[in-house]
Amino acid sequence: MFKVMRNEFRLVLADQGVLVFFLLLCFVYPILYSLIYNTEVARDVRVVIVDDSRSHASRKIVRHIDATPEVSVVGVVPSMSEARDCMARKECYAIIHIDRDYGRDGENGLQRHISAYCDMSVMVRYKNVLSGLVGATQDDAQRTQAAAVAPVLYNHGGIVNAQHVPIGNSGMGMASAILLFVLPLVLQQSMLLGIGMLHGGSIERRRHCAGHDPLEVKAGVVATVLGKSMCYLTIYALPTVFVLHVTPHLFDFPQNANPLAVLALSLPFLLGVSLMGQTIKVFINERESTFLMIVFSSIVFIFLSGASWPRFEISTFWKAVGDVVPGVWMSNAYVLMQSDGASLWQVARHVAILWGQCAIFFVLACMVEKYVSRPRYARYQALAQEDPGLARRMELHKNGD
Amino acid sequence: MHYVIDSLWRGAVQLVRRPMYVLMIVIMPVLCAWFLMDLLKTGSVQRVPVAMVDLDRSGVSRRMARNLGSFQQVEITNHYTSFAQAKDAVQRGRVMGFFLIPEDFEENLLGGRQPVLSYYVNYAYFAPGSMQYKSFKTVSVMVGGSVVQTVMRTVGLRDEAIKPLLLPYATHVHMPGNPYLNYNYYLNASFVPTLLSLFILMVTAFALGTELKTGLSVRWLHRAGDNIVVALWGKLLPQTVLFTVVGWFIQWMMYVKFHFPLNCSPWTMILAMPLLVMANQGFAVTMFCFAPNFRFGTTLCTLFGMLSFSFCGFSLPAESMYPWVAAIGHMMPSKYFFLITTDQALNGLPLYYSRVYYAVLIAFTLLPLPLLWRLKHEAADPVYIP
Repeated sequence: MFKVMRNEFRLVLADQGVLVFFLLLCFVYPILYSLIYNTEVARDVRVVIVDDSRSHASRKIVRHIDATPEVSVVGVVPSMSEARDCMARKECYAIIHIDRDYGRDGENGLQRHISAYCDMSVMVRYKNVLSGLVGATQDDAQRTQAAAVAPVLYNHGGIVNAQHVPIGNSGMGMASAILLFVLPLVLQQSMLLGIGMLHGGSIERRRHCAGHDPLEVKAGVVATVLGKSMCYLTIYALPTVFVLHVTPHLFDFPQNANPLAVLALSLPFLLGVSLMGQTIKVFINERESTFLMIVFSSIVFIFLSGASWPRFEISTFWKAVGDVVPGVWMSNAYVLMQSDGASLWQVARHVAILWGQCAIFFVLACMVEKYVSRPRYARYQALAQEDPGLARRMELHKNGD
Repeated sequence: MHYVIDSLWRGAVQLVRRPMYVLMIVIMPVLCAWFLMDLLKTGSVQRVPVAMVDLDRSGVSRRMARNLGSFQQVEITNHYTSFAQAKDAVQRGRVMGFFLIPEDFEENLLGGRQPVLSYYVNYAYFAPGSMQYKSFKTVSVMVGGSVVQTVMRTVGLRDEAIKPLLLPYATHVHMPGNPYLNYNYYLNASFVPTLLSLFILMVTAFALGTELKTGLSVRWLHRAGDNIVVALWGKLLPQTVLFTVVGWFIQWMMYVKFHFPLNCSPWTMILAMPLLVMANQGFAVTMFCFAPNFRFGTTLCTLFGMLSFSFCGFSLPAESMYPWVAAIGHMMPSKYFFLITTDQALNGLPLYYSRVYYAVLIAFTLLPLPLLWRLKHEAADPVYIP
């Protein structure tokens, strides 16, 4: 087993492509992604106002709207058609229309009417316009209400003091919410890519050397699988610390987890991923086809993990598909620990499942090695002995030459 | 002429003989598109699991719990008797937030002593967080409103006069194109074409790289009469056709099967699809001209393909990003297809406003022309670097 491990180390270190996946990817991707979302929130969404009231009250509400952090009034235009043109030219992303009777209604003790038309291409803009508008009007509304009941209740403040306490991700930022899900998945995908590429390289060597891999160490099935996993685990010690501990630190994401607990959590995760990689490698026959097979699955896994669409809303079928993936459990446990400060004990269920996956993928990886890969190599050898030029002719045939 | 036909024939035969092409051009894009659309088919986040911590156990507090329970967006799955229990449930991931009614709430409310209500929202989960906030906020406002209403009635005001006092502002927010706030329409209108773009970029890079790697690029050029344009044309056109057909199928899924908003003539979107395919192919060939090596070229294409999901500003709008991030977003074909989709399919604007985006997609197709000599050079004398 240690021979396999040592040999695998040699292969990894000699292979630039794999090193890029194992190390560079783990250092570059988290930083790049975090930088993209580092502004965290949208501010000052551009809106134009159509003020049909032109009263003192309407000008006041426009000033209030402009003063909210969420939106910024870029202009007041005389008509809706002009405002629509502004929106079509993307000079603004929402129109706020103030009713003609706005000023008079307020004075007469009636409801005042304001309408907003939002561009729906990016949801965050709509959310900002909505909360900017609500924020501006509600301030005023609360004052009116409190003033009305004050003489009866002998109370000049609000009636109920409602406190909104954001927990977990208390800055309510987008990066802090999404990136914590993505970080463990970066580790998973980079390891899968690396394992796939190593395997693709081995297959190619077999193709060129009559079915034999000159760089392979002869060992039993279990020793081969475990030896390789040990090698990957050792290599990933450093990237794991960087991705799961240093990155949140660099970008001020929530960091409520005990670093040692995170490491304890990532052990079954990394082991599970390395075994999963050795199971799905069976689909890869070329170094570069790794890209095609693995890369797009990142998007699928991000969605399955519940980063943007919560897991309780996912149908049972897709939830079951996600349950198979170590990264899904890891990222959910990691978010609970980093954001909500859960202890290892509180995510015990996740840890148990991760260890369970290790066991299942270990059996699968061994089966793949024994019943699929090794017979396939034997077939290569037999074919190559029969007809040494076959591999090259196959290549020509596939290319249509 | 026979060079053109010969190249095309070679390109088409390859598609059939390498299972990787069929898998990555037809099966996976369709499967992934279906996955994304089916995953989000409910359209909005509903029934977020939340907890109620009612320390008051009074008539008012129970009414508030019932009110909260009647909201579609949240579901009270647990009741706890202390803050610590609720916090533990959040940390275990059982609930995503809780509503806390303190002791003597009713008494203080009716006594006018401004009792404190608190709601704890876990924003580690972004979409459920805002749904909880909305429901919790409404319930807490309603409590205050009911007190005001009772007081005003006691004073002798009529209900018509009380309403403006409770809600002095009637705000009407219109959401043209997506009035149901459907998350599926919003997210997948951009994500699915971008995922298709990723496949196009990777497959194009794979197709060119395979030629260089196997050393068969010499024959590839030879059969095209040593003309790199003919060679590329022959190799990529069959893929263009296949990808376009797959793209149309995906559009059919979007607009017909899943009823995404389509407020323009269907032809506008149907015609934009081949432009998207060719723009991405042009982009991939350009990347390959920069780095005419299988692994480097593929890495570049994959990198851009993956990053376009974030750089193009589908979730965080471009104007809120760092300017350099937004600028990189403008270097990607998916961005312009996204702008066409929102302008045309979502907002139904006149074609005039989107003219630039169509032009840019065509420009992407022509982008590699000045760099093709590099690819030709490499193809005539391929060196494989593993």
